[in-house]
Order: sequence, then structure tokens, then C-alpha cells
Amino acid sequence: MIANRTVSLLASLLLGVAGCGGGGGDSPGPPPPPPPPPPVTKAEAFQFLNQASFGATESEALEVIAIRQESWIDDQMMKPASLQLPHMLSLPPPQFMGQLHTDRVDIWFRNALWGDDQLRQRVAFALSEIMVVSQLGALQGRPFAVADYYDMLAENAFGNYRDLIEKVTLHPAMGVYLSMLGNEKPNPALNIRPDENYARELMQLFSIGLVQLNIDGTVALDGNNQPIPTYDQEIIEGFAHVFTGWTWRGSPSFGSGRVPVSSQYFPMEHWPDFHDTGEKMLLNGTVLPPGQTGEQDLAGALDNIFNHANVGPFVAIRLIQRLTTSNPSPGYVRRVAEVFNNNGAGVRGDLGAVVKAILLDPEASPSMAMEIDGKLKEPLLRLTQLFKAYNASSTSGRYPLVGSYILFGQGPLQSPSVFNFFSPFFAPPGEIRNSNLVAPELEIATEYLSTQYTNYMFFQAFGLNHTNENLDEDDIFINFQEEMDAAADINALINMVAGKLLGGEISDTLRTEIAGMLERIPETDTAIRAAEVIYFVTTSPEYAYQR
Amino acid sequence: MKTLNRRDFLRTSGAAALFAATPGLAYSQVVGGGGSFTDYRALVCVFMFGGNDSYNMLIPNTNAEYAAYAASRQNLALLQSDLLPISPASTGTPDFGLHPAMGGIQGLFQDGNAALVTNVGPLIEPTTKAQYFDRSVTLPPQLFSHNDQQDQWTSLRGNVQSKTGWAGRMADLIRDGVAGQQMATNASLFGSNLFQSADETVAYVMGPNGPVQYQGFSTTPGDILNEQRLAFGRVVAAQYDTIYERGYAEVQRRAIDAADTVSMAIANAPTINTVFPQSQLGTQLQTVARLIAVRDELQMQRQIFFVATGGFDSHDDQNQNQPGLLGGISDAIAAFHAATEELQIANSVTTFTQSDFGRTLTSNGDGTDHAWAGNQLVAGGAVNGGDLYGSYPLLEIGGPEDVGGGRMIPSTSADQYAATLAKWFGIPDVDLDIVAPNLGNFAQRDLGFMIA
Repeated sequence: MIANRTVSLLASLLLGVAGCGGGGGDSPGPPPPPPPPPPVTKAEAFQFLNQASFGATESEALEVIAIRQESWIDDQMMKPASLQLPHMLSLPPPQFMGQLHTDRVDIWFRNALWGDDQLRQRVAFALSEIMVVSQLGALQGRPFAVADYYDMLAENAFGNYRDLIEKVTLHPAMGVYLSMLGNEKPNPALNIRPDENYARELMQLFSIGLVQLNIDGTVALDGNNQPIPTYDQEIIEGFAHVFTGWTWRGSPSFGSGRVPVSSQYFPMEHWPDFHDTGEKMLLNGTVLPPGQTGEQDLAGALDNIFNHANVGPFVAIRLIQRLTTSNPSPGYVRRVAEVFNNNGAGVRGDLGAVVKAILLDPEASPSMAMEIDGKLKEPLLRLTQLFKAYNASSTSGRYPLVGSYILFGQGPLQSPSVFNFFSPFFAPPGEIRNSNLVAPELEIATEYLSTQYTNYMFFQAFGLNHTNENLDEDDIFINFQEEMDAAADINALINMVAGKLLGGEISDTLRTEIAGMLERIPETDTAIRAAEVIYFVTTSPEYAYQR
Repeated sequence: MKTLNRRDFLRTSGAAALFAATPGLAYSQVVGGGGSFTDYRALVCVFMFGGNDSYNMLIPNTNAEYAAYAASRQNLALLQSDLLPISPASTGTPDFGLHPAMGGIQGLFQDGNAALVTNVGPLIEPTTKAQYFDRSVTLPPQLFSHNDQQDQWTSLRGNVQSKTGWAGRMADLIRDGVAGQQMATNASLFGSNLFQSADETVAYVMGPNGPVQYQGFSTTPGDILNEQRLAFGRVVAAQYDTIYERGYAEVQRRAIDAADTVSMAIANAPTINTVFPQSQLGTQLQTVARLIAVRDELQMQRQIFFVATGGFDSHDDQNQNQPGLLGGISDAIAAFHAATEELQIANSVTTFTQSDFGRTLTSNGDGTDHAWAGNQLVAGGAVNGGDLYGSYPLLEIGGPEDVGGGRMIPSTSADQYAATLAKWFGIPDVDLDIVAPNLGNFAQRDLGFMIA
């Protein structure tokens, strides 16, 4: 049985217990002056950086230890976004457009690994798993749109959520992916009515969800103890009518035709003749009056969503799950949702303040970790952490790892659908499901994909390393020269890898098993010894876990 | 792992009320009393992700009904002259047509090896249009939403929470009878899914080409790679402090256990000469055929396979994309059936489709939106083929089955569809209500499309 900290969020959701908070600690009265905080340990710095970056490294940990987490966040938020589109546009024109997705993945890795805006890149990645577009499907031929979409997420990662949903809504990548681009007013004679795709998923997946939530993320219930839907078909149709009349910038005809490449990275433009001008039913009984322009309808509709009470807890849960823990307590969700609702200066939707609240919450770095704290690392983040720690590079300087979604189920903007690589509600059979908890990332840790990941790490450690003289120019290799230099001393070698990948904390089992293997490898086979340790650590359950 | 007793199982699967309504039922009467099966049977679920527009898969071919269809669908309507006509056994005349890309299914239908179940979808109880609008019946929650309707189809959850799927519950029910199997009853070639999720048994997830083996492991005593395998095994068998590490380690343990057995068996499979389409679905079904070919080596008696393909969410460009989508389904299922004939096991293998939902009869210009009821395919030697099952509505906007925009209310429930397949699979009638918890709300427990 799982020892819950209080009532866990999901348990309360399923049991229908209205959130009682618990552990909130917001009793009135002046607080005593705080004692000086203890120094940040290396393990704590690693824990924090695995939440806030594409993988902790020892050098970044030293920075966090020196200036503490909050200053590191403040510093990071000032850094401009590392972008993809300028790189994409600097490349020679390809033979066919879809080829450029390889370059898009390349620049994604460069920015994720070496961009000094680590927090911004990590939050952009989180947002890309909530407001999903994907290379796979309708955007296969639109790599510039996909790259620019990611740039837009990075640039707005600490901005206001209201601006973000407007930019998402009008981005041609989203327009193509959820078919709002080219959506037109009804034509009753032909049984044509507006496309409902974007209207539905904007509400279900990007902003409010299917059922009404309390401020702490628990499901609100009606008098019969039933969840209360946030919208119905009539409201979806209202929003579908709002989102009519938008198409490619510079398009010769509405919704189709040959458009310049630049239309992929400019917001969609409005064609009034294709916009429905009737009145439109929105959320919470709001009705948009007839006769408005497309821009007026859009502003009214996005304001209507933005001000729905669900957005705070909905965004809080989604971002907490991407950054810190799969099973936040109701108190944690409430604390973050309250910051969404008001950043302290009367502003609603300040994502920078929300991210800061998520990362600095006591539950993000509990002094005594419970067995439900933390989360599983996504395979892509396990990979980037290794790449960062071992200075992975290729002779060409490129990172064209475009097939990672086939290898282990995940790649940058390569989700199989708008529902992301895994569901926020996924619960594997066994103790997690029986305890009404979730572990979203475990949905792609199947027998098949976990074996594929493990095999990839085998090849990475033993084959794709700096000692291999037969690498192709695009092969991404890790550099473990330091480990080879230390390989004669088994304990020193294990400590070195544990220091780089696990923040210095390694379980007795893993240490013992690695030491046992190293004893079988001659001391002179330094590369094999180094590879063996890296293989065992990167495939271990403790490395897959984000504390 | 925690083991649930039967009472727990019934409670968690939402079937407690049904069990309580049949007092005096002995455990052995329900779960087969430890007896084992004497034959082999396999169900193969082909899931069409996104919501198949199945009113363009099966189309009325009689003039008045076709005219209603064409008036509703407008620019998305297929030409009557392009339809592949089929003559259901019950009428003997070519009253219906299949999408022109579905020649494979037309052939199976004519040979009596395929049937269609019409206007079927998730329901909790029989529902009319008037009842839908005055809310005098209980409706499945969150109609027209992708993931919710997928869950409805695969779990038959009705309006309660369910964490098990109907294939998972079948595997739990028969587990005592298949104790000698070398592989789990449920196998997925398309990732984790609710359909095969269960309380007491665990589905095995492999890749589209079957299991992958771990690199750098051997089983030769004294070999360092054997030591590596054993050391890796001890790492994933260790005790961990968090649910996440334990969950991840458990998957790795299962993967190590199953990969070698199944991979070795597949490697020794007889050659199958049937040519499969080079598609995601074709590859998966070819692997299923190879697994079925080695059923005896793996001592399999009952198997449920989950295969799938996507792209059916045709909000855009439907006329361009539909031939490839439906042709892909048709070609892959026809090839798979041919392979089972080649293996002389066709009478023991039943393939059936599921999808999120049907789609609107109205269009959004160049595509369709999320709706409710649709048509499904069933194929195999044990199918009472060459016929349609369930009623086929008049495809009229604003008609008696339309709740708006051409969203059709199901006239047959997904529970009835599942129960008919489950009965053939060997689930006793008394347990069909565990597989399909709302079956008792419908008069017909068996739709009749399977040979008894």
C-alpha cells in the first residue's frame, strides 16, 4: 500500500473527495524570522536541475549551489530564447521539404543541450507536450511551421497565458494540425458547418479540460456526486463558428493554393468573407453578439476561455506533471493555481510566476521524499541528460537523431497525436493503479520501448563513443576520456559516473552489480570499463527516476 | 504484486451489482473451475484511431436510401456507380455497397468470411432521440471526444470509472484455464492500451515486428555477457523506494522474461507465403500470423491481439485520404485472413474492428467531425459471414437517429458487439456481464454474427 502524504490528488478525484488541502500551512499571523537556509547540496542541485533543464551537469550544479535555486531561475528567465527558425532559414533549400525535419531535430538538440536558456527550453518542451503539434501527419511538409511553433512556445514560456493561447490559435502549424486553417462559415445548402476540431481540443487539452475543477485540481461534483461537464456540443459549435475565416498569410485563395514558404512562420490572416457573423454560445452562458469581425470574435472567445476558473488548476496540474511530479497533492496544485490566478501584482496568467511557483514549492524538493514524489523521466530527457553530461557531439557538429520516436517512442514534436506521447491520466496495472495514482511517462515505458531504449544505451556506451574510429560524421558520440583515465580504480570510476549522472547518489545494489562486472573486465580495457558503468547507470531504474 | 480476490475484482470492474443479482452462483461456475480449453481461439482487434467515417465504408445501394445518403453527404458522398455492391444473405439482393477501395473485404463478404455490424456504438441503455434530448436515459459521458469514446469502446465502462478493458477482463476470467501458456493471453503490437488492461493479468507489449531481445546478453554459462544479463536482472529485481522506479523495473523484468521465449519461437516459425501489404497495419498483422503459427510451441490456447493504425480523424481532405485509409484496412485484413487459411487455422481466428466513433454525415467543407455510431467489420472462418447485423439507419439529416449534424445514435451497443465475440471466445454466458457490464440492459445478448 502506498503511504500517501495526504489525500493524493488523483485519489481524491476518483473518490470524489473535495480537496481539503492538507499540508498547506497558511495559518494567519506574522511568521517568525526565517533562519538562514542551509547550503544547497550537490544532490539537491541535481534534483532541481533535472526539473528545470535538459539534465543536470556538475558545472551547472556548482552554479546553483553558489547562487541558490531562486536566483538561478531569475537569471534564466532573463535569457533570450535560443531559436530554431533562423538556423532553418540559413540552410540551402532542400530537394523536398520534409527532409528539413532532420535539421529541425538537429537544432532542437543543439538548443536543448547547449542553449544557455535551459529553463526556457525545458518549459517550451513541456508546453509542446500540452499544446501539441507534430511533424507526423499534416505537418510533414511544413518543417518551418513546426520549428517556428516551438520558437513561439520558447519566447512565450514566461509570458502571459492569454497571449500564448492567442499565438497558438493563430499559428499556421496549429492551423494545419487541428484544421482551423481554411475553416469557413456554414453553407446550409451543402450541409456544411464549421470544423469543430480546434474548438474541441483547445478546450479539452490546452485550457480547461472536460469537467469543472476546484482550485486545488480536484473534480467539482454536483448534488448527485457527479462531475460537471465544462461544455457541451452547442458550446463547441459556438467556438467552431468563432474560428472561421483564417488562412495562410499571403494565400492566393482561401484555405488552399500555393503559398510562400514564409507563410509557415507568420500568423494566419483573416478573410472576412469566410467568417460566420452570427451570434455564438460560449462558456458560462456568455454569448458573442452577431455582426462582429473575426478578430473581435477571436478576442472575445479567448478571453472567455482565459477567464474560466478551470484554467489555473488545469495549467498547474499539466505543468507540475511535466516538470516536477506525477501526483501533486491538492495543496501543491492550489498554491500554483493561485499564482496563475494572481501573480501577486494582480495579473492573471503570468506563466513565469507559475513556473517559479512550481519549482520553488516545498513539494518539488521535499526534505523527506515519499514514494509518490517525483516522476519518471521521459526517454528523451534521459538521453539529453547523458548527452549533456558526456559532451555528446558528432564530427559534423549535427544531431540529426530524427528517428528517436521509432527507437524509444519519443522525439521533438513527433507525437503520434494531439494527445501527446502519453496521457496525464495513465496508470499502469499494479500498485500505481490500485492506489488511484498515475505515472504518465510509464505509458511509453512498455516492454518493447524500454528494451529499445536499453539497447540504444548499449550502442551509445559501447559503440557511439569517442574511442570509436569508424564513426560516420553524423553519429552522435559521448566522450568518457575522464572515466578511462580513472578506470583502474573501480570505486573511483563508479563514483565519477554516479557524480555526473546521479548527483553522487547511487544505490548499493547498482554499485555492487557494476563493481562485480568491472572486476571481470581487465584493468587495461579502460574504454570497456567506462562504457560498462555508463550502460548500467543509464538503464537503471534510479536513473529513469526524477527525484 | 498485489493479488485481488474475486470480490475485489467484481467491485473494481463495476460488475458487483450484476453479480449480486445472481445469488448462489458458485465461483467454479463462473471461472470454469480450473478446467482448461481443449482448442485454440484467437481474437484480433484492429483499432482505427481517430474515428473511422464508416458511413463511407458501408453505403446504402438501394435508390431511395442512397439518395438520402447523397443528399446528406453532399461533396463527401461516393458515387453510387463506384460502390462495390454486396448482397447480404438476409435479403439476397445488392442492397449495400462498400467503399471502392475495399475489394478485399468485398471478397471476404461474398465468400462468407466477413460480416458488418451496423450503427453500433457505446450505449448504457437503449436510447431514442427523444430520450437523448430529454435526458431520460443515462448516456455515456463526454460523447464525441476522442479519448473518452476510445475508452468507452475498449472498456465498456458506461458511466462509471473503469481501469480495465473488456479484453483484460476476459483474460482474467479464463486465467485458470490457460495456466500453461508461455505468453500472456493479451498481446499488443501497438503500445499500452486500456482494452487489454486487467486486474490480475498483464498484457505483453511487443513491437510491430514482435519482441526485441536485449543486446549484450547471452545465456552461455561462463560468458561475461551471461554475467551481464544476470547483473542487469538483479538491478531490476531490487527493491526501490518509489512507485516510479518500481513500475519501470517491473516492465524491464517482464521484458527480459518474455523476449527470449517469444523471439525464439518466432524465429522458428514456418514460412508464411501470403503477401502482406507494406504498411504499419500489414506489418503488425503479419507478426500476429507468425505468432499464431507458433501457438503450439508457446502452448497458447486463447489469445487476444491488439493491432492498430491511425489517421482516421478526417477533419480535412477526407476525399483524398479515405481511399488509402479504408483500402489499407481492407488489404491488411484480407491478407491476414488468407494467412490464417494458409496456416489452416482460419476457423479459430476472428478479426474485428473498433474505432473512436463514427463521423458526422454533414461536412465541414472538406472533412467530417466527431460523432457517435458507426459500422464495424468482423472477419474469419467462424464468422456467420456474408450478412449485416443490427439495423442500418436512414442517413438523413434531422432523421430519427440524428442528434444533430448527422450524429447517429447507436441502435446496437458496443456491449452487445463485445459479448458476441466474448461468447465465441469461450466466456460462459453468465460471465458475459462482467465482460460487457451493460449487456443486461439490452434484449439481445448475442448478435448472431459468430458461428456458435
